[in-house]
Amino acid sequence: MTGQPAPLVTHKRLDLYSVALGVVFALPGIFVVVRAAQLSGDIGETLSESVGPLGRTILLASSVAATAAVLGTALAWMVTRTDLPAARTWKIVLVLPLVLPSFVGAAAFLASLAPGGLLHGLLGLIGIDSPRARGFWPSWALLTMFTYPYVLLPVSARLETLRPTLEESARLLGSSAGHTFRRVTLPQLRSSILASSLLVFLYAVSEFGAVQLLGYDTLTRVIFATRLADRGTSFTSATLLVVLALIVVAAERRARGGDRVDDRARSRSTQLVHLGTKTPMALAFVGSVAFFGFVGPIVSLIIWATRGVLDNRINFAALVGPAVNTAYTGVVTSVLAVIMVLPLAVLLVRHRSRTGKAASIAVVGGFAVPGLVIAISLVFWTLNTPLLSRLYQTWPVLILAYVIHFGSQALGAAEGSVRAVPTTLRESSQLLEPSLLRRILRVDFPLMRSGLASGGGLVLLSTLKELPATLLLAPIGFSTLATEIWGSYEDGFYAEVGVSALFLVALSTLLTWLLVLRRAT
Amino acid sequence: MQRNLGPLKTVALALFISVFAASCGGDDESQSVTIYSGRTENLIGPILEEFIAETGIEVVVKYGQSADLALQLREEGDRTPADVFLSQSPGAVDFLDADGRLATLPDDVLDLVPAAVRDDNGHWVGFSGRQRVLVYNKDLVDAADLPASVFDLTDDKWAGQLGIAPANGSFQDFVTAMRAIAGDADTSGWLSDLTANDVQSYPNNNSIVAAVGRGEIQVGLVNHYYNFRFQAEDPDHPGVNHQFGIDDPGNILIVTAAALIEGSENTEAAEELITWLLGESAQRFFADETFEYPLAPGIEPAGAVPPASFAAVGGLNYGDLGDELATTRQLITEAGLDG
Repeated sequence: MTGQPAPLVTHKRLDLYSVALGVVFALPGIFVVVRAAQLSGDIGETLSESVGPLGRTILLASSVAATAAVLGTALAWMVTRTDLPAARTWKIVLVLPLVLPSFVGAAAFLASLAPGGLLHGLLGLIGIDSPRARGFWPSWALLTMFTYPYVLLPVSARLETLRPTLEESARLLGSSAGHTFRRVTLPQLRSSILASSLLVFLYAVSEFGAVQLLGYDTLTRVIFATRLADRGTSFTSATLLVVLALIVVAAERRARGGDRVDDRARSRSTQLVHLGTKTPMALAFVGSVAFFGFVGPIVSLIIWATRGVLDNRINFAALVGPAVNTAYTGVVTSVLAVIMVLPLAVLLVRHRSRTGKAASIAVVGGFAVPGLVIAISLVFWTLNTPLLSRLYQTWPVLILAYVIHFGSQALGAAEGSVRAVPTTLRESSQLLEPSLLRRILRVDFPLMRSGLASGGGLVLLSTLKELPATLLLAPIGFSTLATEIWGSYEDGFYAEVGVSALFLVALSTLLTWLLVLRRAT
Repeated sequence: MQRNLGPLKTVALALFISVFAASCGGDDESQSVTIYSGRTENLIGPILEEFIAETGIEVVVKYGQSADLALQLREEGDRTPADVFLSQSPGAVDFLDADGRLATLPDDVLDLVPAAVRDDNGHWVGFSGRQRVLVYNKDLVDAADLPASVFDLTDDKWAGQLGIAPANGSFQDFVTAMRAIAGDADTSGWLSDLTANDVQSYPNNNSIVAAVGRGEIQVGLVNHYYNFRFQAEDPDHPGVNHQFGIDDPGNILIVTAAALIEGSENTEAAEELITWLLGESAQRFFADETFEYPLAPGIEPAGAVPPASFAAVGGLNYGDLGDELATTRQLITEAGLDG
């Protein structure tokens, strides 16, 4: 083997890279803990005061994670594995509940339950009064509707790369579709489902706008309500949240356990399950999910927008700049996030390194920190890092903030896509093709593509609607559709909220179709 | 050839000098102000445009929530690019003041408004006001049944029907005012009675007015501005503002405030901007376009907005709001509300 160059990607190099990545992603958490210590927040006292909100946070986040996992997986299976009519359209429509910022999605949903709203009208037709949407159950239902796409996208991608022969054999041997799914398919989806419901859990933990609107008191309320009056309590509560996240993420890593590289590459297209007489039922199910999660809120937005458009007080041209900013910022962030977490995914799947595991806990755990806290922490880190401080309130630092906030969403999918490349295939390609780059492009990438696209897609959709970091860290005067929506919502300019939110929905739909789903179908 | 080029060279040189001089002159004259604004663009943008056109001073604005911007300014410390902070509530300004982040405004700026609506130490000045009111759904509540005092909201008939925003700055400022007027014991008792009366918590004024509008609750404690906005959006909106009795703490005026950031290198332009906000044009805008109470003497609120006298403020010292915030929050949470 003399004369052979040393391999570029070694275990050691990946370890080093992962340590650096883990540190960067841990910055917000470190800031929170240091500030809590500095302000001598009393953890015992905060804990005893916050026991109620903390308990409610855990209850809400676990329930939402569980239902989003079931709903997301069921929908993923229906759109990828069955002959559901218009599956391609459903695939994109079902992702859309993710595109609205939660405060506006929740407000639009509530408006649809109010007199004049779509759901109110429809419930009225069957003689039901709209329920009073306050407390746990509405919060649970609404967050489930907003978060199941976190499961749907990665699990669909996994289903698409999964080798179908086992399932087909099971079907041939007389196993029912449901039985085959439970006994053959589900075990192979286990790690994807776990990773994505973990994201849902962490999202629900960090969520503030929607839950507060529905009057369910969680730990984020303490963090927000005390942020000026009692910073010690605010940062100590945020520390509790970070600790909770780390425990849950570590537990998930452990639970995922023996999940190996998929050593049987997908060789041909899948035989779709024939729904037959169950087709209307399936359509009703998929349709009602889309209806509650997307159509209801969208109709409210249209009603708001129409009033302003009829009065002729909407300046459409003023939205073009923000829409362009939103689009390129989102695309750059999602590509960068996928590239940044990919080496860590390689390390985790192919080398099973402890360092990688620790780094991945830092990367994923950070997602539980509320966006505002991440933004404030990056104000601190940017200004206090030599060289970086010159870039304060510039576009690159904004992108970095987005990557730190949302990179975790790409990791699970990236791991899934690394798993989709069989070891045997890689070994044989190494013999035949000496160039690493060409190997990656011709062998690895085609197999990884749908997984990476799904991870990038989640980052993209989250970035398109991101608010706190954009407000604090963007170059002064830089506005996005999300900042436009917020600016109008804050002071009750609902017509503008409606129009900019519909712009955001259209842009998200277009980009998701072009970049995430088009290639996969 | 040389000779032919001579005049050209002279012209080029002259051009160069004049351009250079112009750009130097421009540097001397073109000033700029960076604002962190807790007021959204809809509520201040047109006034800033006018200021730019009038003075030629460049203005750049970062919009955000007052409390979030205050946190950001505190983390930035003396490295902040901001010259001016505009806050929707006095609490956020006082938070920065407590950290020594605000500079003293000159007397000729402070004197543009009555002493009641500016900081005693001259660190900020109020530029518009929003009155605390009770918004009610006219389809669900008979106007004759509305309470004369905010203290009457603990009555059984409002059980489960009252919305408040305990984590919101203006609610907290209102509770601080109530403490100043009625004392801590009565305020505390009132808050606990609200909890016992199944009061409903919302994140902000906006969502309370929306909830009253859709009939989820019958009444809500909010700033008067939002219901005007909702009516402008939707003529069928059933919310109506109700004022309590004249000296009732439920009626206080919440001021929006302007402050100069300590260490700003553009103080002259910044002061000019703050003066502009208190000038006739801006004050008229706040009265007529954003339905607020102008604070500069001599400007009347818009016709649709009921008059409020500064007497309703009840001798409240706005400068205390920030210092008292911690105690206020403690009372709110001790009463079992999500503050």
